[in-house]
Amino acid sequence: MGLRGQAALVGAAQYRPEKYASAPRMFHLEQVADLATQALDDAGLSLSDVDGLITLGPQFHEASMFVPAMASEYLGTRLNFAEVVDLGGASSVGMVWRAAAAIEMGMCDTVVCVIPSRMAPTAPDDDHAAQVMRASRFGGHSTRFGAPEAEMDLPYGHMAQNTGYAMIAQRYAATHGYDAAALARIAVDQRFNACHNPQAMFFGQPITVEDVLASRMVAEPLRMLEIVMPVAGGGAMVLTRADKATHCRHRSVKVTGCGEHVHSKSPTYAADMLATPIGPASRRAFAMAGRTPQDMHMAQIYDCYTITVLLTLEDAGFCRKGEGLEFLRTHDFTFNGNFPMNTHGGQLSFGQTGSAGGMTQVIEAMQQIQGRAGPRQLARHDLAYVSGTGGVMSEQGALILEGA
Amino acid sequence: MGWNKPLPQVTEISAPFWDGLRKHSVRIQQCDKDHWIFFPRTHCPHCGSRSLQWRSVSGAATLYSFTVTRVPTLPEFTDEMPQLLAVVELSEGVHINTTLVGMEAADIRIGQALRPVFDERPGTHVLLRYTAIDSAAPQVLRADSLPGQALAPPAPLARRQISCKDSAAMQSLVSDTFSAWSNQIEVTQASIDQFAALSGDDYWIHTDPAKSRTDSPFGTTIAQGSLVQVLISRLQLPLDYEITGSNNMVNYGSDRLRFANPVPSGCRIHARYRVKAVQAVKSGMQLTMEINIHVVGQERPSVINDLLILYM
Repeated sequence: MGLRGQAALVGAAQYRPEKYASAPRMFHLEQVADLATQALDDAGLSLSDVDGLITLGPQFHEASMFVPAMASEYLGTRLNFAEVVDLGGASSVGMVWRAAAAIEMGMCDTVVCVIPSRMAPTAPDDDHAAQVMRASRFGGHSTRFGAPEAEMDLPYGHMAQNTGYAMIAQRYAATHGYDAAALARIAVDQRFNACHNPQAMFFGQPITVEDVLASRMVAEPLRMLEIVMPVAGGGAMVLTRADKATHCRHRSVKVTGCGEHVHSKSPTYAADMLATPIGPASRRAFAMAGRTPQDMHMAQIYDCYTITVLLTLEDAGFCRKGEGLEFLRTHDFTFNGNFPMNTHGGQLSFGQTGSAGGMTQVIEAMQQIQGRAGPRQLARHDLAYVSGTGGVMSEQGALILEGA
Repeated sequence: MGWNKPLPQVTEISAPFWDGLRKHSVRIQQCDKDHWIFFPRTHCPHCGSRSLQWRSVSGAATLYSFTVTRVPTLPEFTDEMPQLLAVVELSEGVHINTTLVGMEAADIRIGQALRPVFDERPGTHVLLRYTAIDSAAPQVLRADSLPGQALAPPAPLARRQISCKDSAAMQSLVSDTFSAWSNQIEVTQASIDQFAALSGDDYWIHTDPAKSRTDSPFGTTIAQGSLVQVLISRLQLPLDYEITGSNNMVNYGSDRLRFANPVPSGCRIHARYRVKAVQAVKSGMQLTMEINIHVVGQERPSVINDLLILYM
C-alpha cells in the first residue's frame, strides 16, 4: 500500500520572492509556461516529455474552470493526467503526492506541478480584477451567501489567518505554557539560514530574539516577525518515473511517503484546536516510508507563523505533545544546528509567495537532497520531512523524500 | 448612524438561530442521537442524522480561546480596538465565534465562565456576544450602552512657566517621549459630511457609505485626512508648560504632515504630543510640536503633524 518510491522529483524552478508592487505582472498562463519550461530545463527534460499537469485551481487569473485544459493548450502538451489542487498552503505537498501516485499507477510518466503567484496585468474594464481586489479585503474568508464563515465569523470581525493562529497559540499557552523567546528563536534561526540564501527576501538582514520580541504585536501573542509576509513569486516542480529519473540532470529525489488530513476550515470548529491535521498526515507518511521522525536529516516545515512550526514539531512526532517548548530550547534550527529546519529561511524569511509559499519548502528539500544548496548545504542530506499547511491548520499534508 | 460592519446574510437553514437571538434566546440544533450542532446545518456532522430539532439553551459558556488584536482585522472594526475576539464553548459542547464585551484584556482567562450578551446595536440583526459571568455589562446592548468610557478631557496639569527668552529653559522642553493622551472625540459621519460641504472634499470614499461598503478598500467611509488634522482644536492636549514673555504667538504651519492611517467613520480619536525641537529664528523662538492623532486603541497614528509655533 502507498507509494513505492517509483516516482521522483527531478527538477524545479521558482521566481525570487519580490514585493507585489515591484514584481513583474504576468498572466498566469504565461507564468505556467515560463516556470514549467524552466523547471524542465533544470531537470534536463523537455515539454515533449510532459504528459501530466497539476495547477492551482482557485485564484487562477484567466479562468475559474477548465484551468488544466487551458494551461495544457497554452503550453502545447498532451496530457494523460490533468488536475487542480485547492489546499491553500498545503497545495504543493498535495501536488507532489498526487503526481507521484499518478505516475506509479501508470497514468502518466512526467508531471509538471505549477503555481503562478505573481499578479496578472489588468485591463481598464476588468470586472474580474475588481472582484479579486474587493474579495482580497477578506483574505481567505468567503463572503458568499451560504458560507458559514460569512455568516458566523465576519460580523464579529473574525477574519483571515492571524487571529485564528493567535487563538491557537493562546490555547496552547493555557494548556502547556508559553515561552515567547523560544518561539522567537524559530524566526531567528530561519533568518540565519536566509542570510545564507541569496534568493531569500530577507537575505542580508539578520535578526535577534530581542528584535522579534520588540516587533509590533499584531494579535496576542503573535508579533510581526513571527508572521509571514505575503509576496509575489511562483514555482514549478517536475516529477517523473524513477527509471526515467536516473537519466535526468540531478540526483533523483524519490517520494516514499505521503499523508494528508483535512478537518475543518476554521479552528473554531475543530474538536481540539491543538490536535492539528499534520498529526494523522505525518503518521501516514512516516509509516508509508518505513521511517521515523528521528531518521530525518532535515525538516522543511510549513511556517506561516512560529506557532505553526511548534505544533507541527509536536504533532508530526519530532517531540511529544506539550514538550515542544523544551524542544525549541534545546535545538538549533540553523543549517549548522542539531535540527536543520527550513534551511532556505522558511517562508518567514524566504518570503511567502502566496499559494506557492509551500513549494519553497519542497524545492529546498529537493535541492538539499541533490546537494545543490550552496553555502547552506547539509552534510547529511538524504532524507527529508516536508509539511504543508493550508488555512488555519485546516488542511495539512506531509511528504517523506529520499535521495536515490 | 448605520452599522458599517459586515452583517450576516441569514439563510433558510440558519434563520431559527438569528430569530432566537432577536428574542434574546440562544438556539442551537440537536439531532435525534442527542448530538449538539453548531453552526446550523441540515444534517448532524457527528452521526449523519438528518433529523434535527432547534432547542433553546441557556447560552452559558466557558472561554475556549481568545486573542486581543492590536491591528484591526478589517478597517471597519477600528472603533473596537483592541478587538477581543473569542471562541466560546457552550455547556452543550459546541464552539461559537464571538467577541467579548465589558471586559478588560488583562482580565481575560481561558476557561472562565461567560454569559451571553444580546447586541441590538446593528439594528437589523442581533449579534451574540459574551461577557464574564460576574461582569457589569448589560444583558442587552443598545445603541447607548457602549462605549461607557468617559470622554472628558484630562485634568489640567500644573504648568511650568517658561520664558521664550530663556533659551536653556526652552530647550529643556524637547523630549523623545510623548505626553499623556488628550480627551477623546468621535468622528461621526455627520461631521464628515459637514466638512465635505464646507471644504468641497465630498469624494464618495468619505461620504457614500453604501458605495464604500462594496467598492472602498476600507469597507466603510473614512474621514478626510484634513478633517482629522483640524479636529486637533477639539482635542485638549495635556500641556505641562506655558510659554511666557512673548508679544505674539503665531501658528506658522507645519514642517511635516502625514495622513498615515485611515480614520473610519464612527471611530473615536485622541492625540498626544511631544516638543520635537526648539530653535532661535530671526523673528523669535520657534517650537516644533509633534502632534500625533490616533484612533483610540490604535498603536499607529492616523495624523502626524509637526506643528510650528513662533513666539515673537
